[in-house]
Amino acid sequence: MNFRRIHIVLGSLILICFSVSFNTMLIDSAQVSVVLKSKKEIYTAGEEIQLNFELNTPVSTQLFLHSSFGNILLQSENGQFILPKFLSNNKGVIQYTLLHDSEQLLSGIIKVLANTNTKVQLESYIGPPSITAGGNDYTMPVIIPADIYDNPLPDSTEIVLKHQFLSNEKEEIVYTKDLIGWSTIFSYEQSGRLLLSSKVKETSSKEFSIVVFPAIPESFQINAKRKHEYADGNQIAELITSTLNDQYGNIISDGTLVTFQIKNKKGVLLKTQASTVRGIAIAKMLHPDHEDSWEIKAFVSGIAESDTIHIEYESVLDDFKVQFSENNREIIVGPLVSFMEQLIPDGATVVLRISQEDNLIDTKMTTSSNGVVTFKVSEGFYANGNYNLKIKVLGVEKQYENILMQ
Amino acid sequence: MSTWNKNIYRSVILASFLGIIILMLFGISQVLSYLNTGADRSSMLHLKLENNQVYLPKVIWKDTINPGRPIEKQTLYDIEKDYLNAWYVRQVAYQTYDTLGVDDYYTTKARQRITEPIAVNKTNGVAIHSTTINHNLLLDFYSADGQLAVLTDKNVREYQRIYKEDQLLLETEIISDYKVLLLLEDGFWRIRHLIKEEAQTIKDTINTERLVKIKEDKIYIEDSGFQIKGINYYPQKTPWDMFGDDFDSNIIEQDFDIIKTIGLNTVRVFLQYEDFGKATVKEEKLQKLQQVLDQAEAKNLKVVITLFDFYGDYSVLDWTLTHRHAEQIVNRFRTHKAIVAWDIKNEPNLDFESRGKENVLAWLGEMARQIKQFDPNHLVTIGWSDIESASLLMDEVDFVSFHYYENIDDFEDLYVSMSSQIDKPIVLQEFGLSSSRGFWNPLGASEKEQAEYYTQFREITQKQNIHYLFWTLYDFDNVPTDVAGNLPWRKHKQKYFGVIDVEGNRKEASKFIRD
Repeated sequence: MNFRRIHIVLGSLILICFSVSFNTMLIDSAQVSVVLKSKKEIYTAGEEIQLNFELNTPVSTQLFLHSSFGNILLQSENGQFILPKFLSNNKGVIQYTLLHDSEQLLSGIIKVLANTNTKVQLESYIGPPSITAGGNDYTMPVIIPADIYDNPLPDSTEIVLKHQFLSNEKEEIVYTKDLIGWSTIFSYEQSGRLLLSSKVKETSSKEFSIVVFPAIPESFQINAKRKHEYADGNQIAELITSTLNDQYGNIISDGTLVTFQIKNKKGVLLKTQASTVRGIAIAKMLHPDHEDSWEIKAFVSGIAESDTIHIEYESVLDDFKVQFSENNREIIVGPLVSFMEQLIPDGATVVLRISQEDNLIDTKMTTSSNGVVTFKVSEGFYANGNYNLKIKVLGVEKQYENILMQ
Repeated sequence: MSTWNKNIYRSVILASFLGIIILMLFGISQVLSYLNTGADRSSMLHLKLENNQVYLPKVIWKDTINPGRPIEKQTLYDIEKDYLNAWYVRQVAYQTYDTLGVDDYYTTKARQRITEPIAVNKTNGVAIHSTTINHNLLLDFYSADGQLAVLTDKNVREYQRIYKEDQLLLETEIISDYKVLLLLEDGFWRIRHLIKEEAQTIKDTINTERLVKIKEDKIYIEDSGFQIKGINYYPQKTPWDMFGDDFDSNIIEQDFDIIKTIGLNTVRVFLQYEDFGKATVKEEKLQKLQQVLDQAEAKNLKVVITLFDFYGDYSVLDWTLTHRHAEQIVNRFRTHKAIVAWDIKNEPNLDFESRGKENVLAWLGEMARQIKQFDPNHLVTIGWSDIESASLLMDEVDFVSFHYYENIDDFEDLYVSMSSQIDKPIVLQEFGLSSSRGFWNPLGASEKEQAEYYTQFREITQKQNIHYLFWTLYDFDNVPTDVAGNLPWRKHKQKYFGVIDVEGNRKEASKFIRD
């Protein structure tokens, strides 16, 4: 019982002590009272911001400032604070708290607005830098007008956007919102170069240029150009496209790759490629060395294709001579003569197939020189006996059975 | 004799020759290895390195529809990441005056606006510790070429502590809106303009229909009064590592049966911050916790979950990571019926001295607000280690928890005087006596004394109607060094707090609980 009483007494004593000390603290803070003398809440960037606090007792105070990019703490002995330039020059809300011995006396906000009376600084971003013709694709200029302190000007600042393309010159007015002003400029039907500029008040931007590339090619024609129609395996045929245009008649960009696909009589596919120059692609292909007919079609992969053309190649020789000597071990093919009975140009392929009782033993291949080819079937490799020989020149084949070699 | 001398000279010369050779080789190799170190090729280009996110305030994209162009998911992710990094490097700069990283996340003109105030703060000895709690982002504009974006960041809650010459001057929380213009430069979304605007506060609506409620100083679960009679629980084989590799739900089920049969209705379990995966909580751990909670629900036991066990970094810059940790756990179990309360941290007042009281309290206060946001259904408390700390942050918690390991004879009076000052429910969250009499502790309590201690406590708790959870179910074989330190007598003491001994026999103390 006694104990409890002591506790109660002690407890109330502590309580009294607490309340007394709390009261003194209250009195202390009540002693420093403060009024903000400068009533101005809205400033313009560049203007000096001075906050004057009237304190009833001259004590040292500190001002904590919270702004867009950071916080600082200023100290003053007389309640007067001049905000540093990096705060007063920057647009945005500044929140302040006046402190005395880490006790908050007063807090509030001031606003700094962009200075619309200074020369405008323009920052422009334009992209994409290249677009395609036809009016589906567009480029987008984004303009950030700012004052000389690099503060974006307020919403609804007027921006004059101009662009020139061929004979068109257009002007458009846009208003800033969310710090920027922007527009979309769609391409015209022609390809070419689009020039852009912008202007806010007296300040003009640099010239910006956008390349308008032609759109994708349309279907096109091809034809073949040959020196003659003979399958001599020697001349080169040119495969030529018509001028490739997009749907608006622009010649498509140089360097567009065109693939030519050739299907011959046997169904074998041959392929050659060329890039366009001024809309025309020229690919080349060696003449075949035997009678053949070609079916040719060209593609711009996945985009456009040509019509199909057919060309025929005639054989250059109908027959050729073959002489056997040295016990049939030397075989002379030729002279090989071409369509005007001239000797075939060097390099015509001649193939000799040697077989014995339906078993192919060897294939010898060589090219003509002065219209003649000589094969030597040497003893060391080919034992004496009967052989079957097949000789093929430029698509013409001759067969000799049971040739005895000794 | 002379040959002896000769041999000695010879060997000395030979040895010194060898020594010189070794030294020279060593020297040459050192020079070569020095010349080989330095800039490695990957750093020649200023490529972005894959880094761990160190700053994770809550970010909500309120709206990404904009007149410029539809935004891609990946770009949105990049913008968010770089924008948060921009905040982070700036906060680090204001705290340490080190502007490393500012160059990466601000354009040249914007950089000046950071370096100037920092220079002023440096001369004045002002350091600012700050973090943002949340960002609500609206995409105002994204340009056609994908190089420019304008955002509005609404209701940014910034927590700040301002120090002058290491003296805390001011602790503030500021809510602002920002307009942000970002440019994509060198693969970084850099801030070009950042303009603070007046916040137009939108109040988040909080659901007031709670599963667990406080009315006056009583706890109600689904509208019926609930008296906590509980235990701090660790499995016998895995103390302080309940959710580790040896997690066994069968053992936990058996233990819950035992807890139920000795007449208790609540268990308190501990989740370790690192073990659960810090800012990215491991799914595997959550599943284990799910099993525990489901079993508790099946046995009709309630659970107090203590978060952030063994967490010790309360620094402002670490806040957002801990918020994400809590978010992932608390959000997952926000509707679980077994939970009665989230205990933010075990005995945080013990960190006051080493981590700074203001650091710890500010962290706890914010964490309490965070958890209430994530989970309005359950209660929030903080497990203070002594009676003196119990009244701290009283307004932030739903009920007050404290631990008592002092003399039992003083308890009732202390409790009565404390409860007269606190008008919220009070939970005696830990108490107990170690029956550790033995070689390391000849003066320790015997099992009989332990039983008497518990009997005495039961009388008090019944008389005063106290919510209680005692420490603990089992005696432990091994106590980790993290818990009790290296000293064998400390460890020894920590091993014998249980009411069931290492062999699984019930100690006398276990009988007290059954009514």
